[in-house]
Amino acid sequence: MGCSSSLPASNAGGIGNINNDNSATDSKNLKLKLVLLGDSGVGKSCIVLRFVRGQFDPTSKVTVGASFLSQVLALEDSTTVKFEIWDTAGQERYAALAPLYYRGAGAAIVVYDITSEESLNKAQYWVKELQKHGSQDMIMALVGNKADLHEKRTVSSQDAQEYADRNNMFFVETSAKTADNINQLFEEIAKRLPRPTPPS
Amino acid sequence: MESPSLAASRVDFYGFLDRMRRPAAAGLFRSIKSFLASLSLDAEEDGARVQAFYAAMEAAFREHPLWANATHQEIDHALEGLEKYVMTKLFDRTFAASPEDAAADAEVSERIGLLQRFVRPQHLDIPKVLHNEASWLLAVKELQKINSFKSPRDKLLCVMSCCQVINNLLLNVSMSNDRTPSGADEFLPILIYITIKANPPHLHSNLKFVQLFRRETKLVSEVEYYLTNLISAKMFIVNVDGRSLSMEENEFQMHMETAKLGTQICAASLSSPQGSATSTRGLQKQTDTQGSRFPFMDSETESLTAAELKQLHGLYRQVVTRYASLSKALRKLFIDEDQLLASVDDDSSTDVKMLARDGIG
Ligand SMILES: Nc1nc2c(ncn2[C@@H]2O[C@H](COP(=O)(O)OP(=O)(O)OP(=O)(O)O)[C@@H](O)[C@H]2O)c(=O)[nH]1
Ligand SMILES: [Mg+2]
Repeated sequence: MGCSSSLPASNAGGIGNINNDNSATDSKNLKLKLVLLGDSGVGKSCIVLRFVRGQFDPTSKVTVGASFLSQVLALEDSTTVKFEIWDTAGQERYAALAPLYYRGAGAAIVVYDITSEESLNKAQYWVKELQKHGSQDMIMALVGNKADLHEKRTVSSQDAQEYADRNNMFFVETSAKTADNINQLFEEIAKRLPRPTPPS
Repeated sequence: MESPSLAASRVDFYGFLDRMRRPAAAGLFRSIKSFLASLSLDAEEDGARVQAFYAAMEAAFREHPLWANATHQEIDHALEGLEKYVMTKLFDRTFAASPEDAAADAEVSERIGLLQRFVRPQHLDIPKVLHNEASWLLAVKELQKINSFKSPRDKLLCVMSCCQVINNLLLNVSMSNDRTPSGADEFLPILIYITIKANPPHLHSNLKFVQLFRRETKLVSEVEYYLTNLISAKMFIVNVDGRSLSMEENEFQMHMETAKLGTQICAASLSSPQGSATSTRGLQKQTDTQGSRFPFMDSETESLTAAELKQLHGLYRQVVTRYASLSKALRKLFIDEDQLLASVDDDSSTDVKMLARDGIG
C-alpha cells in the first residue's frame, strides 16, 4: 500500500447524514454516480483518493470511508459536477456482485495496470459486462494506470487506445502515484455528461 | 444507549403525531387512514404505492396551512414522521409477510449459522492489522439492531452505524500505520465477516423492506452505497463456495458437513430424547453409506499395487483431515470424543445424546 502519504485533514464527521438532502440537480449543478471497476491491485482506490485529495476542500463534506467518496468539480462553463464515486472490491470472488454496484451508474471507469496484460484482459471483461448489463448511455472510460512504471510496461498504449475506440470509450493513461492525468480523467468524464436541456 | 440520530428520529415522529392531532390536519389524517386501508397484500406493488403516497403527501404538506412558510427541512421532518407512521401501521402486513420471504429468511439464517462455525477472517483475506475484536463486536451489535425497529429509516440507520464502525476502524488503522486509507477491497470483506458473525434476524426481509419502503429520495448517495454493500454481503453469503473463502471446494464441503453435524448434535441435545435418537440414527446411516465409498477395506495388504497404495494414501489423508476437524468441532461442543466413539460402537444412539446433553448442560 502506499499511493499516498497523508490523509485528508478533516474528515471526522462520520458517515454522511442519513438526512442529507439529495439537493436537486439543475442544469448548472450536476450529479453523477460513477463506479470503478478493475482487477485487484490496479490502483482503483488510489486513483479516487488522488482525485479527492488533490482537490481537497476543507469545506466540502468528505466522509470517513474511502470506499464511497464524493467530490465536486467545477468546470470552465461554470457548471459543477458532483461525483459520487463507488469503489468496488476487485478480487475475483466478488465479481458476481458488481452488477449491484454499477446499476444506475452514469459513468464507469474501468482500470487496468499498464504493466499487466492480465489486468487488461480483466478490464475487457468488465467492458463487456457493462455493455451487456449497464445502462445504454453510461459514459465509459478505459484507464491504464501506473503510467509511471513505463520501464515495466507490457500493454502498449496504442493497443489500448484502439480497443477503447472500438468500444466507444474514452482512453487515458494515469498515474495515481504522480497524479498524472488524474484530474484530466475526471474532467473529461464531466465534459461528456449530457447536460439537461433547460425547459423551453 | 440510543444514537443521536435515532433520538432525532423520535423527535420527528412525535412532532408529526402532534401536528396530525390538530383539527387543521383532519383532512390529511383522513387521507392517511384511507390509504392504509386501501393497500393490497403484494409487497412489490405495495412498495410502489407507498412511494407514490409519500410523494403525494409531500405535495399536500407543502400546500397545507399547517406548513405554511415551512422550510424544506421542516417538510422533510414531517415526511420522516409520515414514513414512520405509515410503515409502523403496515409493518405486520408488509414485513416478511409472504411464505417466500419467510423461507428466504430461514435459508439465509441457517446458512450463516453454518458459516459461523468455521469462517475466520483469513478466509476472506482480511489483513491482520484490521483484526479488532472490540470494533467488530460493536459493528455486530449495530447490525443486529436492524430487526428491533419497524420504520425503514430506523432500520437503515442500523446499517449505517454498522458501516460507520467499520469505516472508523479502517480510518484509525490507516492513520496509525500510515497506510493508504483502504477502499472497498477492505471494507466489503469486513462487512461480510460482520454479517456472518451477527446473523441478523430476517436479513432478507429487512433488506427488502428498506428497499421497498424507505423514501426513494433518501435512498441515494452514501446511504445507497452502504445499503448496496449489505445487499451484496448477503448475496455473497447465499452463493458462498470454497473458492470465495480461499479454500478447496472439498475442504469447504467438509466444513459445511461438520458444521451441519455440529448443529444437529446441538439441536438434538436440546430436544426430547426420542427426537434426538432419530436424528442420531440418521447420522449413523450416513456413516454406513460413506463406508461403502471407501474401497480396499477387505483387500489384502500384500495384493495392493503401487497405484492403489497411492489412492489409499489419498483416502487416508482425507480421513485424517475429516477426523481432525470433526473432533475439533466436537471439542467445541464439550463432548467427550472417546465416549462418543464408544457409544457409536455399541450402537446405542441414545447414549450419545445423553452424553451430548451432559456435556453441554
Ligand atoms: N507505481 C504506481 N503504483 C500504484 C499506482 N496506483 C496504485 N499503485 C499501487 O498499487 C497497489 C494497489 O492499489 P489499490 O488502489 O489498492 O488497487 P485497487 O485497484 O483498489 O485494488 P483492490 O481494491 O484490491 O481491487 C498499491 O500498492 C498502490 O500503491 C500508480 O499509479 N503507480
Ligand atoms: Mg481498492
